Amino acid sequence: MSYIVPIGPYHPSLEEPIHVKLYTDGEIITDSDVFIGYNHRGIEKLTTERNPIQTITLVERVCGICSHSHPFTYCRALEEIAGMEVPKRGQYIRVIIAELERLHSHFLWLGLAAHIIGFDSLFMYTFSARENVMDMLEMLSGNRVNYAMNIVGGARRDFSSEQFDKLLKMVNDLKEPYKKILDIYANDKTVALRTKGVGVLTKEDAFIFGAVGPTGRASSQSDDVRKVDPYSSYEDFDFKSVSVDNCDVFGRAVVRLLEVEESFKIIEQAIKNIPDGPINLGTKIPKIPAGEAFARTEAPRGELTYYVVSDGGPSNYRVNIHVPTFKNAATVPAMLKNNTVADAGLIVASIDPCFSCLDR
Amino acid sequence: MHKTNITNITKEEIVPLAEKMFSKRRRLVIINGYVDTEGKNSIVYNYDVEGRVETYICRGYEKLPSITSIFKGSAQWCEEEICEMMPIEFEGLNKSGRLFLPDDFDGTGQILVTPLAELKKNNKKEGGIA
Repeated sequence: MSYIVPIGPYHPSLEEPIHVKLYTDGEIITDSDVFIGYNHRGIEKLTTERNPIQTITLVERVCGICSHSHPFTYCRALEEIAGMEVPKRGQYIRVIIAELERLHSHFLWLGLAAHIIGFDSLFMYTFSARENVMDMLEMLSGNRVNYAMNIVGGARRDFSSEQFDKLLKMVNDLKEPYKKILDIYANDKTVALRTKGVGVLTKEDAFIFGAVGPTGRASSQSDDVRKVDPYSSYEDFDFKSVSVDNCDVFGRAVVRLLEVEESFKIIEQAIKNIPDGPINLGTKIPKIPAGEAFARTEAPRGELTYYVVSDGGPSNYRVNIHVPTFKNAATVPAMLKNNTVADAGLIVASIDPCFSCLDR
Repeated sequence: MHKTNITNITKEEIVPLAEKMFSKRRRLVIINGYVDTEGKNSIVYNYDVEGRVETYICRGYEKLPSITSIFKGSAQWCEEEICEMMPIEFEGLNKSGRLFLPDDFDGTGQILVTPLAELKKNNKKEGGIA
C-alpha cells in the first residue's frame, strides 16, 4: 500500500520549520520532497541599508549556533576588499572562539541524535558536557550566544592570561566526559542498530549534491576549508581533517566525535602559542572601497560562504550568504530512499540542519 | 592572504566551463547573483580547484543556460534561488516551485531590484509589519 506522509512544516519533533513529503510503500520510503523557506527573514536584503558595524550585529543573528562563523566570514570578505591584514593575535582569538563554537555545536548534535534514537541518558550526559563549553564562551565573551567577538580588522576583545589558564583547565576537564561519550557511541549496541547502514549517502551522491562539512566528510569527501584553504592562521595548527567512508548516520556521528578531539588540540595550541601584539587594526568605522570578494570558513556544519559586493558607499551593495544546510538539505531525499518512516527523523537530523541559517 | 580570483566569462562559456570542472571532479562551491550598479544581472560561479576558489562572473544577460544537467543537485537550488531574487531565467532549469518566498510568489524575481522602502510599503499594505 502506498502512502504520502507529510512531516512539518510545524511538527513536535522539529526544532525549526521544514516540510518533508515522504512517498512510501508500506513502511519503506520510496521517494521524498523537501520544502524550505519557512524562516525567511530577508536578512540579505536588510544588509543593503546597513553599514559594516550594523551588519556584523545583523549577520551574527542569522544563526543561533554558529553566531561567530557568520560575522567572521563577513569580516573576512570586507577585509579582503579593503586589503586589510588582521594582526596574528586577532586571528588566534577568532580561531579559539570558532573552535569553541564547533565544540558546542557538535555536542548539541550528539545529544540530539541520542535523544532521537531514544537514548535519553546519553542525551543528558552530552548536554551536560556541552554546558561546560557554553560556560567557556560566557567566561571569554560575556555571552552564551552572539559572542560579538568580531570587528572589521580583527577581534573585538582580548583575553587575559588568567582567562587562558581557566580555559585550558576547562578544556582538560571536558576530556573525560568526551571520552565516555566517544566510547558509548563507538561501542553501544543500541546506537549501532539505529545508525549503522541508515541514511546512506554514497560518495558519488555527496559529490553531485555538493555535500559539505561532517555530512560530506562521512561520505569520503575531504573538503575541510581549514585544511584545504587555510585562513586566520589555521595553517599554524597541527590537526587532522576527519573523513570516513561509512556514508551513513553512524559515519556522521564518528566525524563529529573525532572533530571534537581535533578542536581540543587547536584550542590548546592557540593558547600556548598566541603571539603578543594588537588584536585588531584599530579601525573604528571601516571605509570599504568599491570591490567584491568571496570568503569562506569551516563552520561547525560545514562550508559557510559570503559573497560581498561594495560600491564604496556606507552600506553593503550586496551580501549573499550560503550556509552548509543549503547544500546538505538537498541530499536528504537521497538519504531517505529505501529507509523506514521511523528513521526519517534521525536521517533529517543527521545532516545537523539549521533552517534558520538556510532561510536567512 | 586568500584573494578572490575573478574571471569574466560570456554566456557561451558557462556550460563548457561546468563540463570541464565536472570532468575533473572540481566541486561547484556556490552560485551567487546580484544586479550591478548599471542594472546588469551578474551571476557568479565559484568552483573549488584543489582548495583554491576560482570565481567566474557572467554579466548582462536575462537568460542563461542552466548547469543543472551537469552539476545536478549542486546547482539546482542555487539557480532556483537566483530566479526568485533577480529578473533572470535559466534555460533548462526544472523549477520545483518556490524556495524562500511565499506560496503565492508569482515567479518573477524582483527582490534585488526593488528598493527596501518599497518592499516595506507593500508589506504594510498587505497587513504586515513595515
